[in-house]
This record gives sequence, C-alpha cells and structure tokens, in this order.
Amino acid sequence: MITALLLLHGLLAAALIGAITHQALSAWWPPRKPGGSLFTRFRAVSTASYTNSIIVLFVIEAFIGGVLLYPEYRITARLSLEDYRLLVPLGMFDLKEHFSTVALGLLPAYWYYWKQSPADRSAGVRRFLTTIICFVVWWNFLIGHFTNNIRGLEG
Amino acid sequence: MRLYRAFPVFSAVFPVLYLAVTYFNLALITYFPTQGELHSLVQRAKEGPSMFWYGWILTAGIGAVAISAISLAVPERIGARISPGWIGVIAVGVMLVFVYLLRGWFLPSVGLILK
Repeated sequence: MITALLLLHGLLAAALIGAITHQALSAWWPPRKPGGSLFTRFRAVSTASYTNSIIVLFVIEAFIGGVLLYPEYRITARLSLEDYRLLVPLGMFDLKEHFSTVALGLLPAYWYYWKQSPADRSAGVRRFLTTIICFVVWWNFLIGHFTNNIRGLEG
Repeated sequence: MRLYRAFPVFSAVFPVLYLAVTYFNLALITYFPTQGELHSLVQRAKEGPSMFWYGWILTAGIGAVAISAISLAVPERIGARISPGWIGVIAVGVMLVFVYLLRGWFLPSVGLILK
C-alpha cells in the first residue's frame, strides 16, 4: 500500500511540477508572438487557467505526503537515517516539511491574485507567489526523490 | 468578493504563526504514529516518536483564520494601501528562518567533511 501511495505521490508531483513550471515561466516571460521555438511554446500557455489545477494538485499532494505517507516515514525511514547519521538528508527533509506548510498557507493569496484581482494590478505579486510555490514544488520533488533513493545513493 | 479579501491576510499571517507555533511547540494535537493514537495538546510518547506537525498546522491555521476574519472589519481602502508583495516577503523570510533554525542538521556534517 505504501509503495502504491509513493508511486501515486511521485506521479502527481510530476504533473504538479509541469503545471507550476509552465505557469511560472509564462508569468515571467510571456511570449511576444505565437509559435517559435519549443521554449517559446512551453511558455505560451493560458497562465491563469492553471491556477485551480495547481491548487488541487498541491492539496492532494500535501494530503498523500503529509497524512498518508509521513507517519510511515517517521517510524521507518527517518529512524534509519538517524541510525546512519545522515544529517544533511534529515535536515533537507525537515525543510521540505516546513516549506510545504508555508506554501500551503500561500495558496489562498495565490488563488486570490490569479483569479480575483485584475491582471494589470497584480502581475508582480502573481509572479512572486508563483515563483515561491514553484521553488517549493521543485524542492519537494528533488528532496523527496533523493530521500527515497538514498539507500542506493549512499550505498 | 468581500470574503475573498481575507485570503491575502490569511497567507500573510499563516507563515508567521506557523513559525512561532513551531518554535514554541504550541501544537493543539499530537500524533503517535507507532500506536496510531491522536492526543490533544503537546504530549510526549512513552514509546516511539511523537508527531507535532499536524498540531502546529492546526494551531497556526485557526489563528490565521481568526485574524483574517477580524481583518474583514478593516475598511477596504486601508487594506489596499498595503503592498501585496509583503505576502511573498514574509513567506521567504519565514523559510529563511527555518533554514537558520535547522542549521544544526547541516553544520556538523560540514565539520566532518572539512575534517
């Protein structure tokens, strides 16, 4: 069951990382004309339309990771990391937990400025909040994978 | 529309409250994953680890909802004078404080590498 949840967690994380990266790059560098290179087309998305999907994915990820997987991590993987004195991975995972919570708290403002506030008045704060959430999603993704694979990496 | 005005307030207040609640360990609930038990307030497990994270989120969340609700009483024109950029600044600041508070995980390893 835990393995299945971990796989689902990873798959949803891939979807979330794709959506938030599209939105962040498009918010910072909107393409001036349609078409062009792959990178231009990557940014040529309807940025605001991603907002609700990103929020739903983030909340589901927080639930799977925080409620369903975290207790298991706490009584198995974390104890092994402590036994092997792998302090840096432990610290990075603790940061993942706190960064996720801060980003979770940012979601109401993120939604408000993408959905309720006029684009011309909130472009800056949209970029700022999207960048923070994008950073947290990437951090969680990389640290989660690193911790999951640590036996092979440290072996 | 009026209720949504409280959303940015929640996002500005929640990280600060979460940081304070974590630092002073003011969890409203404690979960014991080994036993699968949930207890009110901060409790130490007799056996296995205690998890305060859910309690921290609950405490900070309730506090942030209360402050956001109170903020609705403030006239909209006064709230509009505050730059929304502060929400991001506060969040980044709180994240950096967490990095500082957790430096103990990183510094001993750096010492070992240098040794």
